[in-house]
Amino acid sequence: MTLDSVLSPLFFILVFPGFFFLSVYGTFLEWVDRKCYALMQNRIGPPIYQPVADFIKLLAKETIIPKHCDTALFKTLPFFAMASVITAMLLVPVWPQALFPFQGDLVVIIYLLTIPTMTFFLAGWSSSSPFATIGAVRVLTQLFAYEVPLMLALLGPAILAGSWNITEISKFMFQNPLLLIVQIPGFLIAVITLQGKLERLPFDIPHGETEIVGGAFTEYSGGLLAFFNLAIDMEMVVGAALINAVFLGGSMGADGILAIVVFLGKTTFIVLLLSVLKAIMARIRIEQMINFCWKILAPLSLIQIAMNIALKIRIG
Amino acid sequence: MKIITKLITWSQMKSPWIIHFNSGACNGCDIEILDALTPKYDLERFGVLLKGTPRHADVLLVSGSVSRQIHKRLVRIYEQMPNPKFVVAIGACACSGGVFDGCYSTLGGVDKAIPVSAYIPGCPAKPEAIIDGMIKLLASLKE
Repeated sequence: MTLDSVLSPLFFILVFPGFFFLSVYGTFLEWVDRKCYALMQNRIGPPIYQPVADFIKLLAKETIIPKHCDTALFKTLPFFAMASVITAMLLVPVWPQALFPFQGDLVVIIYLLTIPTMTFFLAGWSSSSPFATIGAVRVLTQLFAYEVPLMLALLGPAILAGSWNITEISKFMFQNPLLLIVQIPGFLIAVITLQGKLERLPFDIPHGETEIVGGAFTEYSGGLLAFFNLAIDMEMVVGAALINAVFLGGSMGADGILAIVVFLGKTTFIVLLLSVLKAIMARIRIEQMINFCWKILAPLSLIQIAMNIALKIRIG
Repeated sequence: MKIITKLITWSQMKSPWIIHFNSGACNGCDIEILDALTPKYDLERFGVLLKGTPRHADVLLVSGSVSRQIHKRLVRIYEQMPNPKFVVAIGACACSGGVFDGCYSTLGGVDKAIPVSAYIPGCPAKPEAIIDGMIKLLASLKE
């Protein structure tokens, strides 16, 4: 193994589009989200360095580990969440092509994006606090509600493109932009369920501050909380990038630096959509959320899939 | 090393997360604290976020004189916060006991129970006064 062959995977994992890029862009998107949220509430909102200041402050704080918790699990979970999100990023096309595309990476990426949610559950479960335990159970309940519509919504373009490869799907959607009009319900379902995956406002039931203090993260403090927050920011980037690639045609045929600019612009647009959703809605109860996901979103996405199959037969 | 210390102080000044605790107030100061968090005053432009759990918080806002019953709970909440932590006493009762000073069921001001970093007087303390007190507390971190 030469130095060259080691260096470039390391560059991908650590710098672009791995850890460094994701953390910088994730903190930027968190600011975009909070600023947009503030502007919609007629406020000024936080300055641009706010997420960075939060991160450094949390790193410098004391980390308290509860006496009765599973210490090893408690300490490693934030890094598990972050690692799985970074791995997922390697499968999403930032350039015209993903770094390691293969047939079926759409399924793998959904699987990889489920791991952070599982770590949230384990984080709450292992911290042995009643609030955290309730939060953890709600995380899992919510997972079963939004995961199915999200998967079905992402299947729509895959059926049309006749491929399980995200790169091929995004190429296909770019070559046939008219098909996007048919995909609008699926796109909206994906955006709404992504909101549930990121545990943001209409679906922030797992850590509703007014009911269960801090949810699954109640016992987390200092550096561990900082890395959990960073992992959630990164998940937002990867989720937006996934929706961008599957529904909106990825980098739209651009190459090199231009492709990255297109990528940044479109993911920021999706995050703006997410923050508008966050600003216009209030938190719903857990059983309302499950009813909504199973009785409205899942049938809608099934209709979408049926429509796509009919379209696929028509165009051949 | 000096740069890192400076960076940490800067981040602490820019991102104070607060938790609100009522140690026996008449609710007047609590309403004013909530007022300060509303869009009109917008504390988030200074990086202030309201947190539900003491584990996430840096600043403990205490309103009201400390009653004997709540004393233990207040100390416990304070001990659950990770270092570095600050306590702000809001309102006349929290500063000195106010009209309840010397009453059989109260201990007096918050500083009888836990160390206090800033006192904000007023009955109730105005939202502007609360914001001003918070900013002065954060500015004092520089020294």
